[in-house]
Amino acid sequence: MQGKHTSVWVLLAGLTLGCGPSDVAPAPLCGKAPARCRVLSLANLFDRVIQHSARMRAISEDLHWEFERHHAPSGNSIGRVSRNCHTSNFLTPNGKETAQRMAHEELTRVILKLLAAWRDPLWHFHQITANHSSDQALDMVQELGKGVQKVAEKMQTLGLLSNSVGEASWMEDLLGRENGEWRLMKEHELLYCFRRDSDKIQNYLKILKCRIVPEHSC
Amino acid sequence: MFQLLISSAMVSLPSSSLLPLLLMSSSAWLLSPASAFDSDRHQLKPSGPVEPHFTKCISRDQTTFSCWWSPGSFHNLSDPGMLKVYYQKHLFIPPSSSPSKTEWNECPQYFHSRRECFFDKNHTVIWTPYCLQLLSRDNITYFNTDDCFTVENIVRPDPPVSLNWTCLNVSPSGLNFDVLVMWKPPPSADVSMGWMNIVYEVQYRERNSSNWEALEVQLEPQTQQTIYGLDLDKEYEVHIRCRMKAFTKFGDFSETIFIKMSEIPAKDSFSLLTLVIVLAIVAAAILIMWIVVSQQQRLMVILLPPVPAPKIKGVDPELLKKGKLDELNFILGNGDLIGGPMYSPDFYQDEPWVEFIEVDVKDSDTGEKEDLQALDTERLLSGSQPARHRAGCSNFPSFPDCERAYNLNVPNEDASATLTCMLPGQTNDRLSSHSINSERGERLPVSSQSSAPQTWVNTDFYAQVSNVMPFGSVVLSPGQQLRTQDCAPASNDDVKEAKKYSKENNKQKDPQLQLQMLEPDTGSRTQQMIPPSYCFVPPECYQPNEPQAAAEAFQSPYVSPDSPQTQCFSPVADYTVVQDSQRGVLLDPPSLQSASSCLSQHPLKVVPTTGYVTPDLQGVLSP
Repeated sequence: MQGKHTSVWVLLAGLTLGCGPSDVAPAPLCGKAPARCRVLSLANLFDRVIQHSARMRAISEDLHWEFERHHAPSGNSIGRVSRNCHTSNFLTPNGKETAQRMAHEELTRVILKLLAAWRDPLWHFHQITANHSSDQALDMVQELGKGVQKVAEKMQTLGLLSNSVGEASWMEDLLGRENGEWRLMKEHELLYCFRRDSDKIQNYLKILKCRIVPEHSC
Repeated sequence: MFQLLISSAMVSLPSSSLLPLLLMSSSAWLLSPASAFDSDRHQLKPSGPVEPHFTKCISRDQTTFSCWWSPGSFHNLSDPGMLKVYYQKHLFIPPSSSPSKTEWNECPQYFHSRRECFFDKNHTVIWTPYCLQLLSRDNITYFNTDDCFTVENIVRPDPPVSLNWTCLNVSPSGLNFDVLVMWKPPPSADVSMGWMNIVYEVQYRERNSSNWEALEVQLEPQTQQTIYGLDLDKEYEVHIRCRMKAFTKFGDFSETIFIKMSEIPAKDSFSLLTLVIVLAIVAAAILIMWIVVSQQQRLMVILLPPVPAPKIKGVDPELLKKGKLDELNFILGNGDLIGGPMYSPDFYQDEPWVEFIEVDVKDSDTGEKEDLQALDTERLLSGSQPARHRAGCSNFPSFPDCERAYNLNVPNEDASATLTCMLPGQTNDRLSSHSINSERGERLPVSSQSSAPQTWVNTDFYAQVSNVMPFGSVVLSPGQQLRTQDCAPASNDDVKEAKKYSKENNKQKDPQLQLQMLEPDTGSRTQQMIPPSYCFVPPECYQPNEPQAAAEAFQSPYVSPDSPQTQCFSPVADYTVVQDSQRGVLLDPPSLQSASSCLSQHPLKVVPTTGYVTPDLQGVLSP
């Protein structure tokens, strides 16, 4: 069931994200000069994905704040995190330089894993709360997953990735993360972790973009 | 609960009013070691002995951070070294699902003078909870679980640098102005790579005021902002602070810059100069337009000089184009157009500079044969001067009868049944004038026709041109006389014949050349002596042909009026001299010693005596 969903989503991603965010004009723009065109489209893809991640970060902040406000926590929220985030055992870089030293494909894989790991918990959370923010969060995670998938494919065609982090990785992570650790977490912990992971994803994407698509500002 | 209220108040109120609240809460915060690292929540606890605690932990670049502590009310611990800082990171090591904590490590770098513990980048990890505690010499730990934080949550960026401002514009009333404030992001923040996403808040106030006006915090990072509606005569000060976009903690304020608008005299002069220039341009434009309008005619002539073209007054210029000789000959033969603008559509009404060729045939009532004949001959023999109007008459300016002789009213509007009544002398005149004018090669002979029935004057219709003088004059031999007869509506064909002219350029070689005639029915070219019968004159012998015959006759310019109605012919010239020319053939009119025999059985051969033969048709006529 989820495999079918994924294939459909990936197909849609190929149709929408591949064409839309990459170029201003449709495919004929890339007809004549593929090399020049690909570089441009990758930068645009990155920009779009980073915008998405910023949006997701804002939604996660809203979710967390809403929950904290309504459920009257006392004390520091960190102190109340008694459980590990289900994504904490991922070997994610915890600093700027650590992330910069990481290989392209590894960083991309980390991003994809993070995004894949949050699909089910957010879906579950949406079933519980069923408010607009949770619905948005779920959509954002899925869209961002497709976007990063597209970026990864583009990078692969450009030869920037040594091994494949394409669709197979996405599927694998989706199927592999069925450990259900997230079910043990409380809602406030989930939201706290989601906020943290959104921040991670945004920063990782920015670092990746600066390394892949060098700009004057990097 | 109380802290929740305060925190909600923190978030909802604008930042300007947050400041006093923050001050109050910070003071309260000092009382209790409640953690203020992670959020702006503060607790108000009852006063009591304040144990050593951390006052703040701040990261400026999300790569390093520092924590400051205070001994609290335990002043004996205020000496440096009395308290030690230990930290612990909550690392999550798989496969354990519980956060595993590392050991307590001591602060990597102390700044005892400031009571600061600095964590450099090697000791800083993001997205990882830190917990700090103070340890006294007595091994008493002062630890609060609220003192745990993650680095990204304690980021307060440095203030922006390089502030300056420019004046955007001044209101039309001259009382207010807008200012654009620009700055640069703090150098410690890695904004270029995007590691830190910083938004700014601009605050301004009047110089002596105490309240700061805060503009809305930006939604997206921008390094400039506009302040609207400042008073021109007041001085303002501006400072800016910033924070991470995803977080709530602002950094310190930047330095204050002052905004003061000085006098602006240059603007008035600038506007005055602009006004003068604009007026000068407008005046110049008006002058040019006036010149153009007043000198329109001359400008038109200068810019669009008239193109000379064959134009005959009263004749549609379309007909003068090549290939439309039939219509032209019809018109010329019928004479329904010639004679005056009053009776014919004037095609050149709007072209006054066009030189017209006007040939008017005077009324048959006027003049006598001899007079006319002599008149014509003399005219032919005299010199010629160009005139603007009446080309045919222009050659003979000395003759006052010119106008009269060449004036012919053509009230006829019916093209099909046109009356034709020509006097031989007039024909001669036309011919001679044409022959003279042919050297100029400019003007077409145009025959005028009379529409009203006129009595034939006993004059020669044609005169044989014996010789053409070098200077263009034509020597005529006396022609024959015709019977005076009443003009009746002649056939169109005959009219057409009579009205045909040809141009003559070369000298007349042989006065008696054979004419080549075209028979309309056979279309063959036969050379024969043109019978002397000339059927123009006696109109009573002719009965009007049907228009269809006339139409048929129009097909070729050399139509012989094969009208069965014709019964007798008046004597016409013996022959017609054909003068070969480059531009056409001049057919001299035949002499008028023809026998007045009715040649009914004969189809009247076309005597294209006075017809214009185009060069392509000239081949037909070549002897």
